Amino acid sequence: MSAVCILTPVVIMAWPAFSAAVVAAASSLGYQVAAEVKKGQPSSEIVHKNTSAVKLEIERSEVVTNQLGRDQRIAVSREGVTVTFSRDARGKAALCVTGNGQSDEELRALGEELSQAVVQQYVYQKLMNEMRSRGFNVVEEEVTEDRSIRLKVRHWEN
Amino acid sequence: MPQREFEITIVKTGEVELHVKGFKGRGCLAAAKIFEEIVGEMKSQQQTSEFYEPEEQVQYRIDQRH
Repeated sequence: MSAVCILTPVVIMAWPAFSAAVVAAASSLGYQVAAEVKKGQPSSEIVHKNTSAVKLEIERSEVVTNQLGRDQRIAVSREGVTVTFSRDARGKAALCVTGNGQSDEELRALGEELSQAVVQQYVYQKLMNEMRSRGFNVVEEEVTEDRSIRLKVRHWEN
Repeated sequence: MPQREFEITIVKTGEVELHVKGFKGRGCLAAAKIFEEIVGEMKSQQQTSEFYEPEEQVQYRIDQRH
């Protein structure tokens, strides 16, 4: 072994890739997609009469989009908790967690768990695509008990 | 043609731990740079003993016989 590095992800992606990462992460944690709509469209799934709501953002993120895609959002739900992902005014990925009966801390923890899973999915997809295009071979892949994704990759060099 | 091996762990926060294997010398830093470009920012880097070994060199010997 020659070196061990820790890399912090920077999330830069277009809306379709972002919503795909949200769907994959949400499914892995047992959420169902409630709705994917543009702001201003009527959606009974997104408008709730909940008592608690917590807003979070994904650090070091940028959702690249054109003018038409700016108001897109996607909502996922599980056991009465709904998490709505969108792009905020600064272009960062933002999420709003709403629920009935949960404390703000509980909603925040659920939001952070899901947003971390979205970043993990983004990194996984980006690594797989980039490694494939650069001729790397993934020879082993597993998801461990602590929900880490482990990959063993080989590459022949000239 | 040397084979390089990488062990990549994407932890649940999205952070990536990368083990670069099969390099001697500074070649591993160039390899790590590729992953830095893909993932984002290098948070920390720790070299192991092989890093301080001499770079790999390939030598050819050509004999001409008459």
